[in-house]
Amino acid sequence: MRIFNRIVVILLLAGLVYLAIATVVYVFELGPYELEGLPNALGFGGLYEGLNGYVGNIESGNIDALDVIVLSAITLLGLVLFILELKPPTPRRVRMQRGTYITRRAVEREVSPLVEQEPEVLQSNVKVKAQRRPGAKVQVGASIRPGEDARSVQSEVQSRVQQQMAETGVPVSDLRVRANESDPRQTKTRVK
Amino acid sequence: MDNYLQLARAAAEAALATEGVYSLGTGRYVEAATYGPGEKVTGVVVGPDEVRVHIVVSYPPPEPIPALAERVRERVASEAGGRAMTVVVEDLEVVRDENL
Repeated sequence: MRIFNRIVVILLLAGLVYLAIATVVYVFELGPYELEGLPNALGFGGLYEGLNGYVGNIESGNIDALDVIVLSAITLLGLVLFILELKPPTPRRVRMQRGTYITRRAVEREVSPLVEQEPEVLQSNVKVKAQRRPGAKVQVGASIRPGEDARSVQSEVQSRVQQQMAETGVPVSDLRVRANESDPRQTKTRVK
Repeated sequence: MDNYLQLARAAAEAALATEGVYSLGTGRYVEAATYGPGEKVTGVVVGPDEVRVHIVVSYPPPEPIPALAERVRERVASEAGGRAMTVVVEDLEVVRDENL
């Protein structure tokens, strides 16, 4: 969300800078430029008239179904963005206890070899997310050969990771394992 | 600022003296260090209200990682001068068995 906000603000500021420079040029009538011609020069002539007519229609109560849908969508989008903005950001590190944290990378490095210890797993893809409450959300992707029993691999990996995490004490509040059939020529390991 | 450096040095020594701590971490995106004139202590960030220690844990750890982190926290807290203590386990380092 922060990156999205940053992009929006950068675009907005770039537009404002462009408008400010154009306004200065036109206000002081530098060269052939005159203030009256500014909306047309910026390409806002048609847009301005269209917007004027649209707002005029809304004010007079002449709105069709499409207008209602567009306005509702804009309102809804604004509401969603507002709620997302109010939502506190996800923490960067996984909380273990009060005042003790472990980085997501350390959890990844702990989980990844465990998954790859499974003989059927050719490659693993581990994603760790920190949560506001203690414990990490871990998503494990295990690549297996086509035709392998994905369910048994999933349950094996799940129990192995849970057991080892319990031993080392790394808190995992949500563990999801998914076994994907992959072409062995495209995985890290072809044969085990 | 000298106090900060002294505190950081003491905290680093206390953390490194804890069994199971392989080394101090360096931070990932931003260097975790306390800076002084011509000197810095890497792995400990001392602020006005908080001391943050970044550690790398030996693997396999001698005890569960949260318990180890808590032990480091307690040990360093005595050097922290009443500041809030945070311990960040930054990485795990596989320790070779010397008998092999």
